[in-house]
Amino acid sequence: MLEQLLIFTRGGLILWTCKEIGNALKGSPIDTLIRSCLLEERSGAVSFNYDAPGAAYTLKWTFHNDLGLVFVAVYQRILHLLYVDDLLSMVKQSFSEVYDPKRMAYNDFDETFRQLRMEAEARAEELRKTKQVGKPVTGSVKKQGQVLKAGLEGGNKRVGEGGTKKDDGDGIKGKVSNLTNGHSNENHKMGDDSQEADRANGKENTSSNVAVDISKLQKLRSKGVRGRGGVRKADSIGNKSSKVAAAEPAKKATKKNRVWDDAAPKQSKLDFTDSVDDNGNNDHVEVVAADQGESMMDKEEVFSSDSESDDDDDDEPGSDEKPAEAKKKGWFSSVFQSITGKANLEKTDLGPALKALKERLMTKNVAEEIAEKLCESVEASLEGKKLSSFTRISSTVQAAMEDALVRILTPRRSIDILRDVHASKEQRKPYVVVFVGVNGVGKSTNLAKVAYWLQQHKVSVMMAACDTFRSGAVEQLRTHARRLQIPIFEKGYEKDPAVVAKEAIQEATRNGSDVVLVDTAGRMQDNEPLMRALSKLINLNQPDLVLFVGEALVGNDAVDQLSKFNQKLSDLSTSGNPRLIDGILLTKFDTIDDKVGAALSMVYISGSPVMFVGCGQSYTDLKKLNVKAIVKTLLK
Amino acid sequence: MDNWEDMKIVAEQWSKQGIEFVQQIPPPQLYAAIAVLLLATIWLFSVRLFRRTKSNTVLLSGLSGSGKTMLFYQLRDGSSHQGAVTSMEPNEGTFVLHYENIKKGKVRPVHLVDVPGHSRLRSKLEEYLPRAAAIVFVVDALEFLPNIRAVSEYLYDILTNASVVKNKVPVLLCCNKTDKITAHTKEFIRKQMEKEIEKLRGSRSAVSTADITNDFTLGIEGEVFSFSHCHNKVTVAEASGLTGEIDQVQAFIREHVKP
Repeated sequence: MLEQLLIFTRGGLILWTCKEIGNALKGSPIDTLIRSCLLEERSGAVSFNYDAPGAAYTLKWTFHNDLGLVFVAVYQRILHLLYVDDLLSMVKQSFSEVYDPKRMAYNDFDETFRQLRMEAEARAEELRKTKQVGKPVTGSVKKQGQVLKAGLEGGNKRVGEGGTKKDDGDGIKGKVSNLTNGHSNENHKMGDDSQEADRANGKENTSSNVAVDISKLQKLRSKGVRGRGGVRKADSIGNKSSKVAAAEPAKKATKKNRVWDDAAPKQSKLDFTDSVDDNGNNDHVEVVAADQGESMMDKEEVFSSDSESDDDDDDEPGSDEKPAEAKKKGWFSSVFQSITGKANLEKTDLGPALKALKERLMTKNVAEEIAEKLCESVEASLEGKKLSSFTRISSTVQAAMEDALVRILTPRRSIDILRDVHASKEQRKPYVVVFVGVNGVGKSTNLAKVAYWLQQHKVSVMMAACDTFRSGAVEQLRTHARRLQIPIFEKGYEKDPAVVAKEAIQEATRNGSDVVLVDTAGRMQDNEPLMRALSKLINLNQPDLVLFVGEALVGNDAVDQLSKFNQKLSDLSTSGNPRLIDGILLTKFDTIDDKVGAALSMVYISGSPVMFVGCGQSYTDLKKLNVKAIVKTLLK
Repeated sequence: MDNWEDMKIVAEQWSKQGIEFVQQIPPPQLYAAIAVLLLATIWLFSVRLFRRTKSNTVLLSGLSGSGKTMLFYQLRDGSSHQGAVTSMEPNEGTFVLHYENIKKGKVRPVHLVDVPGHSRLRSKLEEYLPRAAAIVFVVDALEFLPNIRAVSEYLYDILTNASVVKNKVPVLLCCNKTDKITAHTKEFIRKQMEKEIEKLRGSRSAVSTADITNDFTLGIEGEVFSFSHCHNKVTVAEASGLTGEIDQVQAFIREHVKP
């Protein structure tokens, strides 16, 4: 049963709620929907889940962009109501007939709504009844796809059989898989497939015992191998699981030295750490005065304003991609429409413009699914809107996309780190920043840059070397610390990073440092034990800022990295309020010319703002993100 | 091309006739006519200039959830209808305030703008600030302390905005939701805001100018910040959007949008 159905304007005034269903909603699902979904440019999504103490709701919505109305339906998540989408569109239609901008109360709509609801419910009942009849048909079609996939993978022979084990196929399917298995052991496979076909036929006719026996035999055989085979099948796309499987037992035992086959026979441990204590003065490293000038964080961002003609020039080659005949018709009607300006934007009108825009975004290194979601969201916000006169569709779409991009890249909360540092200072505890990220993105280098910038603003910094795995990590930080003349807390290698961090924070509280910068080892987002170790570090020390370091060169993997990091951090957290990634540090920004899409992908998928941008390899190369410049570059 | 030549000839004839007619008018009349024309155009321009200096735009700003949309509808219609949710777009309207509908005589309509408070939509405020005649900054008196940092940062950004400082736009700090028992008093809120802004002043001026986009700094150097230091007038008032007790806000608006 529907919990509630609301109609409100985009300006926020509620126009109508269903009074029959008198339940008050627990929590504030509508506000949360607006804040975390509609304003975050995820309005292309299908539904939104909201959890409050005592209730779990799912929300569905639709817009009427022309009149500026939003229709939202709320229902309990455990009930899978099928008629909600239908009902919403019907309500939209009938309400837009009644709507009058001057009117604020629509009590007569109750009656209309009741009728609509009964209609929708009745229709859903019918659909459900017909669906139950047709289920077996659809079920087999789905499994056909599975068989094909199993055949194509060409993996373990037993895996193929294991996959088809559950099938109620028909003979045609067997023949199809015959054709696809042409590459692999033909004879062998042929035999199996004929058996398959026989078995399938057997099951259908429910007669021949021979087929059933063979199937049982195959079942027994495959069961033994299912464990390994199943896992391998699932991960045959990437080979990461085998690595994990190999790493797991190794990690459970103590960490053994990796022995290569052709290594020199005997080697003492490669630990060249100089035996120096914390205040050791190693004369090899000269103390370069840490005055390399003003950090670029404090410099004005100067960017040239490109002329408008660039946009128009780019539009021409883009439009050439469309097929010629459609272009002729489209051009004339669009010109006509742009002059009269009366057309309502339809999905078909927006389609080509959005497609071109998506392609353009993807050439700028925005992850594919992010570009897709963004385009869907822009489409949802423009559909049904009236074109103002003398504007082309493409320019309307461009303006809407620009608006959306600025909205996403603008931080949701203030990213004034210095203010937070001051606030922590008042409470007499150090401000802890943890740098996390995958291997090789530049954590240690950018940690030094941030330390330099903070030092320039008269904040006392302390580094904590919690990367106890990579050779030379501690020395690297030690060198930076010596050059910048800031204290460093280190415990050498092969220690538990969480404990090292804890002790570092205690040390900082003792000697009155304002900020503690914690460096961690790089880790892949799929590596379960390492992610567990990271979440242990974060849970134990409760840092003030978890900074995800990501490189601007990353492509579609950015989405995977960030979402998996956040997921692991929230799954493996012990407390009720898991600490997620609070900010992003974008590195290697100078290596990408205008392919700045990684910033957008990362911000969109994680919701956290970009706090710093690393644009070089010296201490001063740290900037703030210039939202307008990025948006301009993305849409150029 | 014959048509062209024909039309040219006709046009020449007409212009000749016109010039002859003008030359027939005695000079004083001609000069008088020109003078009247000139005066009329000058007068029109000056009237337009004068009218433009006093705008009637009042902005309703504040954090998300502080009650601006409810206030907007109270001011406009005298009732808050069925409630409001987080605004995604500004609410604008030019109207005579509801309580003044009863009054007789010419009352100047007010252009009221309710700007969404959500941080992602903060840029919309920048569009309206140059034209503002007065700003009502709505603060949630109920949930004041948990949000005090965000509130003070927002107010600081408004008070240091270039247009606000140059035009000396008056600001009313409106403490909303005072109908609830646990709401704070306006004095408490004022003191807390002054303290927070003092802290902000310290940290914001510690960084170099390019870091933060504030155009000006607030207050007098060396003294604890107080709202009386601002060049524009900042006053505090109480209101309740839900029950309709908005007299102080209405008085403020009327005071600064003179009829």
